[in-house]
Amino acid sequence: MAAFLEIDHVSKRFGGLRAINNVSFTIQRDEIAFIVGPNGAGKTTLFNLISGVYHPDEGSIRFDGQELSNFRPDQAAKLGIGRTFQIVKPLRNLTVLENVMLGAFLHTSSPSKAAEEAREVLRYLQMEKAMSFPASGLPLPMLKRLEIARALATKPKLILLDEVVAGLSTTEALALAALLKRLPEWGIAAVGGVEHVMQVVMSVAHRVIVLDHGTLIAEGTPQEVVHKPEVIEAYLGTKYKEMGL
Amino acid sequence: MKRSYLLIAAVAFALSLLVPLVVRTDYVLQILFRIYLFAALGLAWNLVGGYTGQLSLGHAAYFGAGAYGLAILSREGLPLWLSLICAVLVALLFAWLIGGVSFRLRGPYFALATIAFAEVLRVLAKNLVKLTGGDVGIQVPPMFTSAVIGKFYLSSVGLTILAFGITVGISHSRFGYYLMAIRDDEDTALSVGVNAARVKLYALFISAALTAIAGALYGSLFLFVVPDQVLSIDISNEIAIVAMLGGAGTVLGPIVGAVVLESASELLKSIFQEAHLLIYGVLLVVVVLFMPEGVVGTIQSVFRRKELAPPPGFVKPQAQAPVIK
Repeated sequence: MAAFLEIDHVSKRFGGLRAINNVSFTIQRDEIAFIVGPNGAGKTTLFNLISGVYHPDEGSIRFDGQELSNFRPDQAAKLGIGRTFQIVKPLRNLTVLENVMLGAFLHTSSPSKAAEEAREVLRYLQMEKAMSFPASGLPLPMLKRLEIARALATKPKLILLDEVVAGLSTTEALALAALLKRLPEWGIAAVGGVEHVMQVVMSVAHRVIVLDHGTLIAEGTPQEVVHKPEVIEAYLGTKYKEMGL
Repeated sequence: MKRSYLLIAAVAFALSLLVPLVVRTDYVLQILFRIYLFAALGLAWNLVGGYTGQLSLGHAAYFGAGAYGLAILSREGLPLWLSLICAVLVALLFAWLIGGVSFRLRGPYFALATIAFAEVLRVLAKNLVKLTGGDVGIQVPPMFTSAVIGKFYLSSVGLTILAFGITVGISHSRFGYYLMAIRDDEDTALSVGVNAARVKLYALFISAALTAIAGALYGSLFLFVVPDQVLSIDISNEIAIVAMLGGAGTVLGPIVGAVVLESASELLKSIFQEAHLLIYGVLLVVVVLFMPEGVVGTIQSVFRRKELAPPPGFVKPQAQAPVIK
């Protein structure tokens, strides 16, 4: 069976910078994979490539049997790729509920039906109390959840979570991680991107992909990956080894 | 929008339709015509400039297309109603050209592009003498022959009701939400599957068609149009200002804006003569500085703040700042 999401020898350059350099990996259905790597490793670029914001210079991206390389973001969304933004992008003049309704509008044109589905998603993310607040007044942890809620409301087959736990306290991050763990129950595969909240990665990810300077340097289960010398060298730091996680 | 607003609007429209039975002075009716014409224009602009957040400062292109389309096509022998329909189609063609190119641009570049297009049309109209009559202008056929001003007034009310109905319908639909999503964050809209380019173009089509009808009405009332009048930046600005003054992105805003702006400018003109433009300008600056959301927008947000005051302990975040690592 062909992989669900297949990144095949993809490269992306911005001028002289090789943001993504010949990266290949695959994601299976119902899998939660995390892409980790230091700042500037190319995580967001990779998400932008998968969601159609950028197009690869070389290589190809296949999703659910479809060649994605020349898709626009809205077409990728229609195919079932939901995404969140690292720097949150709420619809500021709309309420929380309306923000999530926009996700639901992908598969229904009725506002009342969209509102119903949005409420369900918000309940899942434990945000129902904030439903009628304008999105512009929300604190960051809520905005991060709102990003996820909006993406989930599109009923994606794959969700790209770009730094959803960045900027959250450890407690908040772990609470969110517990919710993310349940995504496969909904038949949603997830690819997360995380810079430094390794605890979340260890508890949620089935598989970890390590990027450094746009190059894939390691791949495997969280336990395997954190013991690889090149990962410790490039990313985790030798202190991490001493901590013996 | 609440039901009570709709009720108030319905009553106001019903009363407006009865006005010609009472008011018989041409002067007053002409002012009222202008108010409603700009209410309709503001509502039309609001779909693009307010709900979608695309600051068009070139709506004179569609306004002029309506007036000139009606004039040129009926001069060539087309019946009046057919000329009007074709004039609207010409405006749609312009919208397609302008939108297709300008919607690729964001922010101030979009506004500049729309100005440029309208200006090109104005210069063309001045120079294609055979087609448009050039600077001398062109005759526009009268739409009505008896009780003229009253009928024009009723037409302008009718057009406003049409634009209002379309706005209410859109603001309650998925399409309306798509427009607001594009206004608030186009990347987010794309990420939930909104084909932003197409949605913006559809909004512009509706806006341009309504604007063209208003332009045709305007030209037909005065029987004569020149490029510097119907294709001028002044018209583009006035349309945008009406909507922004009343409250861009609100249903009632453009109507309130038209009433305030047009009656104020008429009053100021009669009191201060030539100095009215100065006062008019100062008023605009005051509104932009202190009520950036417009009259209706400001009132609404005062109410919303009362209704939706976040519970204590709900800290307003610096959400706009990127997460610093």
